Amino acid sequence: MPQRTLLEVRGLVTAFDTEGGRVRAVDRVDFSLERGRTLGIVGESGCGKSVTALSIMRLLPQPMGQIVAGTIRFEGTDLVSADQPTLHRIRGGRIGMIFQEPMTALNPVHRIGRQIAESLILHKGIERRAALERAVGMLERVGIPAPELRLSEYPHQLSGGMRQRVMIAIALACDPALLIADEPTTALDVTVQAQILELIAKLRSETGMGVMLITHDLGVIAEQCDDVVVMYAGRVAEQAPVKDLFARPLHPYTRGLLDSIPHLETPRKSRLPTIAGMVPTLKDLPDGCRFNNRCPHADDRCRREQPLLSRAGDGHLVACHHWQRIAGEVRT
Amino acid sequence: MSTPLLELRELATHFPVRGGVLLRATGTNRAVDGVSLSVQRGETLGLVGESGCGKSTLGKTVVRLLQPTSGSILFEGQDISNLSRRRLKPLRRELQMVFQDPAESLNSRHTVGNLIEEPLIIHGVGTAAERAARVRELLDLVGLPASAAEKFPFEFSGGQRQRISIARAIALGPKLLVCDEPVSALDVSIQSQILNLFLDLQAELGLAYLFIAHDLAVVRHVSDSIAVMYLGRIMEYADTDDLMDRPRHPYTQALITAIPVPDPTRRSTRTILSGDVPSPIDPPSGCPFHTRCPHAEARCRNERPLLREAARKGSTPHLVACHFDF
Ligand SMILES: Nc1ncnc2c1ncn2[C@@H]1O[C@H](COP(=O)(O)OP(=O)(O)OP(=O)(O)O)[C@@H](O)[C@H]1O
Ligand SMILES: Nc1ncnc2c1ncn2[C@@H]1O[C@H](COP(=O)(O)OP(=O)(O)O)[C@@H](O)[C@H]1O
Ligand code: SF4
Ligand code: SF4
Ligand SMILES: [Mg+2]
Ligand SMILES: [Mg+2]
Repeated sequence: MPQRTLLEVRGLVTAFDTEGGRVRAVDRVDFSLERGRTLGIVGESGCGKSVTALSIMRLLPQPMGQIVAGTIRFEGTDLVSADQPTLHRIRGGRIGMIFQEPMTALNPVHRIGRQIAESLILHKGIERRAALERAVGMLERVGIPAPELRLSEYPHQLSGGMRQRVMIAIALACDPALLIADEPTTALDVTVQAQILELIAKLRSETGMGVMLITHDLGVIAEQCDDVVVMYAGRVAEQAPVKDLFARPLHPYTRGLLDSIPHLETPRKSRLPTIAGMVPTLKDLPDGCRFNNRCPHADDRCRREQPLLSRAGDGHLVACHHWQRIAGEVRT
Repeated sequence: MSTPLLELRELATHFPVRGGVLLRATGTNRAVDGVSLSVQRGETLGLVGESGCGKSTLGKTVVRLLQPTSGSILFEGQDISNLSRRRLKPLRRELQMVFQDPAESLNSRHTVGNLIEEPLIIHGVGTAAERAARVRELLDLVGLPASAAEKFPFEFSGGQRQRISIARAIALGPKLLVCDEPVSALDVSIQSQILNLFLDLQAELGLAYLFIAHDLAVVRHVSDSIAVMYLGRIMEYADTDDLMDRPRHPYTQALITAIPVPDPTRRSTRTILSGDVPSPIDPPSGCPFHTRCPHAEARCRNERPLLREAARKGSTPHLVACHFDF
């Protein structure tokens, strides 16, 4: 029986060498993802979602980006210490990836068919004709009408939604065990987003793959994910099963995020709750808890000591010194 | 009823489509194609629709950054659709626009103080000392410290830059602000700060907004009424609560159900629309929505539905451009 845990990230630290010195974009991040489940990663711009994904795929911009500590166990292999041939085999083979802007990931001068087939030739060792036939099947599976005709088209001839479908076809061509999707629908309209998210959910249940879905949209998280990791300034603030996170958010940041989005039930034109201030930059992170300059509960301990993730329930982890007290407080 | 602050009558803005080596006009992009709407003083009209539906083109036409192809724009009853640049200048005091990306709309070689003062200088408002005082007042109004005046836009975050562009847009005391996706580029925690700012300014200054956004939950929150646009035309218009509680057009219904609800106990049932928005260069015959409408019939392919009054709430009609009642 295969292990249930598909991906396990432990103590991941990823740093960038910048003109102003070394900054830790991801700092001691822990989480794990089980087969057949969707893990959402949510947080504001710059909190380290994409850097975490790039670290897992070992696609950090070189030479600035470096993993300086931690392990990333995927199907028994530590991706942090894996050599290049192993990484080539895994990437696009066992791990499929889709990004926000498919235009940057697709090769503009190659036909769609060739791009899907290439991945099959590389990872499955099948020959060109068979690979092209499989490509037609993949395009059909991701809901592209007249797939035979699309094979010979170029990416720019497709709409944004169609391009994202092609990206998904490429990512899934080799039956990966893990799909990493970094803001796959952020550039799309809500109606097309609904199509793409439904497609990813359908393919997940057909294949039993695990999905790591990065988004800043809490609605997408609520609808698509089984588990959620909330990141803030390069760290995990809270991790929980999705229902638990929405029903019983414990971290003040998670609470602030959930409260600040207008819902369809929020009284119209009422002032929305806000999180004071803004996200600190990596160069001027506060000491202690990174949220302390925006947190209504911050005290001296918070300004001194960094909170570690602690267990607050079944699968529910929170990095806050005062979560127990906060849990008892009624949200307004 | 009093004259609306802004009234659009059959407004159209078309772009020539050029092709071939000689870049001859080969077609027409009917980005805005016969829109009639009005905005009341101190109120907010929300405008929603998928990308490419003509929302920004409509917004830019209203503030006359674009010249309408036909139809009229009445501002306080005066037709401004054909005014010359010179005759438009005094209107700029009344009618301003805020864009999605504050980085693009702010010239970063000028200090924030200069940027906010610039419209005052152009319109010859006050002495230097009076203008400096007004800049401080505006910064305070949008929630920035007075010290911000000495800094440059790049020294600020996205949310703060949006505050700066809002300060600049309201410097001359406009009556109407056209806001084109003003919070779309911002993080949720900053988005709520800026939405609150828009609400505060409306309450304090009596500003009216034409508020363009693709996020229906955001538009609902700030708007008194909402217009839904598709391929350059209005599909539905109603009082906000009316539209959200009882959407009557199949497109509006699909848009509302497509919004992911941030509540995992309520996995929504939705009609997923197939395909994308067709090109406004070669729009479908009959009802522009028929290629994606789950209820389309033969009549829809041949006959364009007129925007008709399906109901009424107080003085606000509920208008729908569909042959049928859903
Ligand atoms: N090549 C790089 N060099 C230096 N710093 C970088 C680089 N790439 C990312 N960073 C920094 O790492 C941090 C995390 O960035 P990341 O792209 O992971 O954010 P994100 O959570 O994906 O945000 P978004 O929601 O905007 O996509 C940011 O502070 C960013 O500025
Ligand atoms: N300056 C322009 N020149 C030519 N076509 C334009 C111009 N601006 C917008 N368009 C076209 O007009 C249509 C509507 O665009 P836009 O108003 O930007 O839509 P939205 O704001 O709803 O996304 C699109 O087809 C777009 O490509
Ligand atoms: S540790 Fe302190 S500052 Fe950090 S989130 Fe908890 S209460 Fe707030
Ligand atoms: S007129 Fe026909 S195609 Fe158009 S929205 Fe109504 S039912 Fe659908
Ligand atoms: Mg990112
Ligand atoms: Mg636009």
